[in-house]
Amino acid sequence: MLKIQNLSKTYPNGTQALKNVSFDVKDGEFLVVIGLSGSGKSTLLRCINRLIEPTEGKIFWDDVDITAAPPAELRRIRRKIGMVFQQFNLVKRSSVMTNVLSGRLGYVNPWTSLLGIWAQEDKQRALQALDRVGIADKAYSRADALSGGQQQRVGIARALMQDPKLILADEPVASLDPVLSHSILQYLEGLNKEGITVICSLHFLDLVHRYATRVVALKDGVKVFEGSAKEIDRAKFKEIYGEEAQEVRAASL
Amino acid sequence: MPVSRIVRNTLITALVIAAFAVSYRVTEADFPRLFRDLPKGRELLTAFLTPDVFTRDVETRTVSIVFPIPCGSAPTEESLPSEGPRLVPSVLCAEPLEKFTLEGFDLQPNSEVVIRWRLPDGRTMTAIRTQTDANGHFSQEVQARPIQSTVDGVASRLEVDTLTPVGGLKPSQALKDVTDNMFVTIFMALLSTTLATVIAAPLSFLAASNITRKGVIGTFVYYLFRSFFNLMRSYDPLVMATVFGFWLSFGPFPGFLALTVVTIASLGKLFSEAVENIDPGPVEALQATGAPPLHTVRYGVVPQVVPDFISYIIYHWDINVRISTIIGFVGGGGIGYYLNLSINDFKWHQAGTAIWAIVIVVWAMDFLSSEIRKRLT
Repeated sequence: MLKIQNLSKTYPNGTQALKNVSFDVKDGEFLVVIGLSGSGKSTLLRCINRLIEPTEGKIFWDDVDITAAPPAELRRIRRKIGMVFQQFNLVKRSSVMTNVLSGRLGYVNPWTSLLGIWAQEDKQRALQALDRVGIADKAYSRADALSGGQQQRVGIARALMQDPKLILADEPVASLDPVLSHSILQYLEGLNKEGITVICSLHFLDLVHRYATRVVALKDGVKVFEGSAKEIDRAKFKEIYGEEAQEVRAASL
Repeated sequence: MPVSRIVRNTLITALVIAAFAVSYRVTEADFPRLFRDLPKGRELLTAFLTPDVFTRDVETRTVSIVFPIPCGSAPTEESLPSEGPRLVPSVLCAEPLEKFTLEGFDLQPNSEVVIRWRLPDGRTMTAIRTQTDANGHFSQEVQARPIQSTVDGVASRLEVDTLTPVGGLKPSQALKDVTDNMFVTIFMALLSTTLATVIAAPLSFLAASNITRKGVIGTFVYYLFRSFFNLMRSYDPLVMATVFGFWLSFGPFPGFLALTVVTIASLGKLFSEAVENIDPGPVEALQATGAPPLHTVRYGVVPQVVPDFISYIIYHWDINVRISTIIGFVGGGGIGYYLNLSINDFKWHQAGTAIWAIVIVVWAMDFLSSEIRKRLT
């Protein structure tokens, strides 16, 4: 159970990205966060693993206060939270294998891994993770030799290496060809079915309807909706995204 | 146009003209002199353009006859041979300063001939030089020694050396020295670049804002190393070399140290800028996995900056070869020092060899470094 309580974030330049946002995420949910670009979705996801320090508010995960965790404790918490990014965030010049293995850095012996030495067990695990997303044959390619969809699958494999209880997916399909969206989200859905909680930000209404077990909507940093995906009809969608969103929505549907 | 602007523009124009006038005066610019002194420059240039590069081995053969001065002071040659390499003078003895003709037969063809006197005490005095024709013959008027040269009944001898170039071209001493010194310069540059890299690479991460500039301590460390690099960069390698030269006496070592210090500063700055220009995404991703900070740098930053680092290192090696040439001039050893010595000794051909070597090596390094850098992506 993840509890987000009165979360606010104000950036040093004065931008208020989040305003007093509260909601709970039960274990095993596939929670989708929707909202316009700049509505605070990325900030919200990054506050959960404290890639961004919230200004106010608390986040509890199984009664542990993430917001109060000292650095070492925070790293132990982060180990259990996988993250998938819009831009994949792979090291382009490193091999796929190295990128996937790096997901394990929170667990392994710090000295040998600093030298780039990995246990056979970890390599095996990485190959399994790659196999799971269907690109085991690319293990020794350079990451930037892969297509966008394949790179995102490497991103998922890297998150899998963490043996996560929670996956944060920050617009995982926004940089991909729309036809690839389902293939990526199906992997996340598969993990969700195995009991991993997923918090995912998305743009397209059809994808929200298809995958979300519950939806939180943000508008200008304020939570404007929380409920099931079915409750979001076109009228509600327009309310969240504003009048100008019509064409975008029509195109995506 | 308002008057104030006209006044201002006039003033600025006047100041600019004055600045140029002063510059012209202090540099003592005298362009016509370039043409007036052309012969001097041409002589120098010709010497530089004909560097001392190759020599050939010379085989020396000597034939000699007894030749008393004056006649009667000692016995003359009893009989001159009629075949084989031989000398045939028009007279068998001569009074001081008497002129006679000396002919040589069946000597080495097309060779330089040195005709000289060998005095009874063993000393030699070169009389004249000439050349044999294709048949190994020469004919040359020779003047006898101005004083009596017979001592204790031993007559002086007339000796002829034929100098024949044999074998192929081989590197001259100057070329060997230039090569040796060039290696000193190249390896001085290599070693200083390597040492500077070892020191600058780790420090550059501390001077990169995206790595260290967090919190009070981080910001302090960042400014400390950033200003350290900037401060060291502001010293010219020549000044450094002079300082180290007085400290450690002149030679390659102080030159090497000066180069290292300057390279640390320069590479440190370049490296830290490369680190600052990375894609922050992978770093964020690694932080999210719970990786320790050092590992985030090792796996997220290092792979991204390696091509830039290598490119800068090679580029700097190239620069350092050039700088160490200049450092040599102030006593830092290597090719610069050799060139300086050659010029001071008026050995223009030898200096030409050094200049050509510098041109070739700098060009080669430049070419090599750009080729290697092209292949790094």
